Amino acid sequence: MLDYETQRQIELFLFEEARLLDAGKFAEWLKLYEPQGIYWMPSQSGQTDPLNVASIVYEDHAILSIRVQRLLEARALVLTPMPRTTHLVSNIEAQEAEGGDFTATAAFICVEHQADKQKIFSGQHTYQLARKDDSFRIKMKRVALLNSDGVHSPMAVPL
Amino acid sequence: MEQSASPLTSDEIRSLVRPDHVHRRAYADAAVFQLEQERIFGRLWIYVAHESQLKMPGDFVRTRLAAFEVLVTRHTDGNIYMLQNRCPHRGARICMVDRGNAKVFSCPYHAWSFRPDGSLDSVPHRKSYPEAFRLDDPQNHMQRVGRVAVYRGFVFATLNKNPEPLVHHLGQMTEIIDNLVDRAPAGEVEIADSSFALEYRGNWKLHLENAADIFHPSFVHNSSVAPARRAPANASILDQDQTREMLLANGFGPAEWEGIQLNGLSGGHAFMTNIYNKGVLASQDTDPVAARYRAALTERLGPERVARVLAMNRFNNIIYPNLVVNAQYQQMRVTVPVSVDRTIVHIHCFRLKGAPDEMFHRAVRFLTTLGSPMSMIFSDDVEMLERCQQGLASDVGPWIDFSRGIGMDRHGPDGSISGAASEMPMRVQFEAWVNYLTAEAV
Repeated sequence: MLDYETQRQIELFLFEEARLLDAGKFAEWLKLYEPQGIYWMPSQSGQTDPLNVASIVYEDHAILSIRVQRLLEARALVLTPMPRTTHLVSNIEAQEAEGGDFTATAAFICVEHQADKQKIFSGQHTYQLARKDDSFRIKMKRVALLNSDGVHSPMAVPL
Repeated sequence: MEQSASPLTSDEIRSLVRPDHVHRRAYADAAVFQLEQERIFGRLWIYVAHESQLKMPGDFVRTRLAAFEVLVTRHTDGNIYMLQNRCPHRGARICMVDRGNAKVFSCPYHAWSFRPDGSLDSVPHRKSYPEAFRLDDPQNHMQRVGRVAVYRGFVFATLNKNPEPLVHHLGQMTEIIDNLVDRAPAGEVEIADSSFALEYRGNWKLHLENAADIFHPSFVHNSSVAPARRAPANASILDQDQTREMLLANGFGPAEWEGIQLNGLSGGHAFMTNIYNKGVLASQDTDPVAARYRAALTERLGPERVARVLAMNRFNNIIYPNLVVNAQYQQMRVTVPVSVDRTIVHIHCFRLKGAPDEMFHRAVRFLTTLGSPMSMIFSDDVEMLERCQQGLASDVGPWIDFSRGIGMDRHGPDGSISGAASEMPMRVQFEAWVNYLTAEAV
């Protein structure tokens, strides 16, 4: 089991990510990712293959930068009006991984409100985290939506 | 949504479409939708499955055809059947998954079990059923609905008792199915297991029209075109810049508006020349994957045929009423109407058998970039389709315009051609729509 202080630091790091997303600070959010960090939202439950199986999102820092700029563009139709969100992360369990890295899993709920629609997303996050000074950087975040293979309407704000 | 008092007459249907305008009721009137379900989705050949999903006896796909939920099955006799997904005993839906393999379909309520051709295999405690109850009585079978026909692996079905041959309905659009299949070095395509289902709160025709509309991309997709233009080239470690190139390609201007040729065909079909001309999407000579792919294809077809197959350079190919095919990217969208203001779009990709694995990875990437619920492209399209539906809900100024390019289209025996960002495909779609909806019962 991880020592209390490291576990607590990881929890606070995940809370920081949630707070940045809720605040619409997407550029700051992207800074939590390593330069080669990956954000992955599979389309299938238990999916391990991002090449032969379609993903809802499978993007590295370079593509995420485009996505973030789009989130900050006034003209993104799907973002007018800008959705408001509450990202909740809980049940956080962290472990040491190879090379001084950490893995963490967390349950999440996100409530998104936009115009006349309110949506709820839920599932499990899996993180691979690298130490960066007294904080962390995300090498990989895997977002396993409960309804990953379901019928969707467009989603805009990252979970 | 609204309900007309009585079924619409043919004259009422005709009165909804002018040469350059269409009445909002075509999108918002539940009685119109009812007639479409009966006379378009109930009479035309509708794509229901791909044969690669039905290889083995017992393989099945669950889908919708007009008002029916159906199972498309492969039986032990080798034939494909289409069954209503309902137990003839108490009426319960039987199959609750979208695809799989089943030796028998067993109703969980009282365990009547059916073979893939719909025939009743067994019932428990046979002796409590009356003497006259027979397993081989068709009334006790899962009901077969409509008929099925296959074109080069694409399974179409119709509820029409007297349909025209499938190839007549497809007409010139067989070319694009041929082209998709001919691109496979092993001569066969397989539909990918993973796909997306996107729902929007709008009429099914809006998606079809949007797929034929080359005027909107620079406006609707500006929020992804602009950041893609500012982003450095080849920065991604994942996809050889494919995503950025796809976003960039929507930056249409006069060159694209005037350079993309649109073809509209009788029957409501349409196709357009390609919009992606750069990077891994363009299959360049410098690309080692494309080179290996060409070599594999040449081995099967010879250099002349390969040149012809790869020369077909189109983007959206719209097979009326609900199929959009992008052959060179191995993509397919299937529009399923749910109600007058609700539609589900299923978005698939294909594997070219015998092609390098990287070709399939690119097709999967294409699927995600264009069709995922978090797509930076299609999500903005869907937003506009929903806003159209919202605007069309009220009866103020009921006529909407599709006149762009009307004087500039060329008309010939095979259909219409336009090179000027014309709304001609929509006019062609609505001409067919009127014909289908006013056709007498068959």
